[in-house]
Amino acid sequence: MTALIIFGLLALLMLTGMPISISLGLTVLTFLFTMTTVPVEAVALKLFTGIEKFEIMAIPFFILAGNFLTHGGVAKRMINFATSLVGHMHGGLALGGVLACALFAAVSGSSPATVVAIGSIMLPAMVKQGYPMKFGVGVIGTSGGLGILIPPSIVMVIYAVSTNTSIGKLFIAGVIPGLLLGLLLLSVTWLVAKKRNYPRLPKASWTMRLRSMRECMWGLFLIVVVIGGIYSGIFTATEAAAMSAVYAFIVAVFIYKDMKLKDVPKTLLASANMSAMILYIITNAVLFSFLLTSEQIPQELTSWITHLGLGSVGFLIMVNLLLLAAGNFMEPSSILLITAPLLFPMAMQLGIDPIHLGVLMTVNMEIGMITPPVGLNLYVASGISRLGLTDTTKACAPWILVMMAFLMLITYVPAISLWLPNLLFK
Amino acid sequence: MMKFLDHLEEWLVASLIGAATVIIFLSVVHRYASGLAIPGVQDWLLSLNMSWTQELCIYMFIWMAKFGAAYGVRTGIHVGVDVFINSLKDKTRAKFVVIGLSGGALFTFIIGSLGAKFVWDVGMRFAVASTFGFDWPDLTEGPVSPDLEWPVWIFYSAIPLGSYLMCFRFLQVIRSFIRTGELPHHDHGHVDGLDDEIPKDATEALEAYEEHKFDHAGHPGGKS
Repeated sequence: MTALIIFGLLALLMLTGMPISISLGLTVLTFLFTMTTVPVEAVALKLFTGIEKFEIMAIPFFILAGNFLTHGGVAKRMINFATSLVGHMHGGLALGGVLACALFAAVSGSSPATVVAIGSIMLPAMVKQGYPMKFGVGVIGTSGGLGILIPPSIVMVIYAVSTNTSIGKLFIAGVIPGLLLGLLLLSVTWLVAKKRNYPRLPKASWTMRLRSMRECMWGLFLIVVVIGGIYSGIFTATEAAAMSAVYAFIVAVFIYKDMKLKDVPKTLLASANMSAMILYIITNAVLFSFLLTSEQIPQELTSWITHLGLGSVGFLIMVNLLLLAAGNFMEPSSILLITAPLLFPMAMQLGIDPIHLGVLMTVNMEIGMITPPVGLNLYVASGISRLGLTDTTKACAPWILVMMAFLMLITYVPAISLWLPNLLFK
Repeated sequence: MMKFLDHLEEWLVASLIGAATVIIFLSVVHRYASGLAIPGVQDWLLSLNMSWTQELCIYMFIWMAKFGAAYGVRTGIHVGVDVFINSLKDKTRAKFVVIGLSGGALFTFIIGSLGAKFVWDVGMRFAVASTFGFDWPDLTEGPVSPDLEWPVWIFYSAIPLGSYLMCFRFLQVIRSFIRTGELPHHDHGHVDGLDDEIPKDATEALEAYEEHKFDHAGHPGGKS
């Protein structure tokens, strides 16, 4: 009953279009004022202590690192390298686009920015070569989401801090699913391209490949700094994030010279803006889960699930459906922050691995980026292709099926997510 | 005056994120550098206590988060679920937008006030009384932070200051929305270094693409 009131209130406030962070906060205040005797003063303190954790600070650092490298110049280097590798195969430009998206998304950390950076260069080129616009939009829009699975991923950090899971372990767990999804998208693209006889590019020589690889190595090395640093124990996850921000700064300003020193304050401000927004949702989500816990709602739900006798298979289907539905209306960080504290205890009760759940939730978020009406990737893809939202959605629809198949694979074969972290973290 | 506040806000959040990055970077460098046996330098490095960096970084980011959230209202980065209200008629939608923004103003005002009371009780009252020599009853000095040993009320004052500023920003946005019908909008897909190069049509795009693709002038053929 209490749960119904709380979530009803939240849904009502959200429907007014109020920012999600504010809806969460107002729900808590209203409930505390009217229904409980919890001292409201505790709320103000919670707003501060809620984010008083060093792990959370990895988020602003990763955002900053990503923003330093979110630049057209970096995108071009990735595209050069990607097309020199796969350009000579069937549908070469499209394959290059998928690969370039994966590389760029991994370092920039932003799906919509990837779609814009790679798409605005690749889409016109593809159309010129005779690809249908819709095919291009589908490929680029979908591949742009690859970034949140490949570390460093902000969505994963959010899951890790809201469930007290290890950031490093989760990052490592994302590597194989990320590569697998990349490979899956590449093979589907290749099959379609072969069937429809899409053009190929002239084969690049090995000298060219090496040269373009050396160019984009500097950017890609960011992933090595993060993963290697955390895994070898040189840094904690937050320190690795800060180091990657410093590294990205050096690469962008002194090596690539895409950015001038005077542009740095602008990047700092944009990163602070983005980070503050996410941290603000986190504070209010902490407040919200404090309310849920003090009303014993996670416990109630957990015992309800046990009574239902769903088992882990049925439970995971339910989780997928819930997250896919939520993905239609909210952006990833809010969904994770609201649902993870609720789903986590249930999953633990059913014996599901926390890392597996994290990867599964991340894949769901990725699908949410390309499903209407709220998928950010769709919006930006429609913006650069001038296709209109409905057409863009139709263009992405076949790819959503591919992603769904991948989601099923991740859901029911936990080994894909767990093999590598279990091997490395004995 | 307004311009000054805007700049102060921007300057504050940008320097906080920049400074926090530098501090953590230095603390990591310090940790590894002090392990190197360089005569003279090592003793000096070991004599430096860097254990406060984590705490300072957290507090800097909390300040950045509170003031950045206020800045975010101005840039329209706080998004909500707008699917439902966007399907409404313009007039009804406008009402909902104002309700949503007012909710923001209300929430931040309440939090600001709760925070102000909290900060006052947790040590500011004592600080004010001892600075100005007031003789108030029941004066207790508030707690200090574990590493830096600064009074916590100074850190916590980010809540009332940031929240009141955010409330003010919400009111500003409401005013400009009622006047002009415009809401600030954040562009999530903004990428630098592309703007001047977004090609007008496919031909130009391919030319631009060809230019930077490979050094040779390879023409993309069909099946070769």
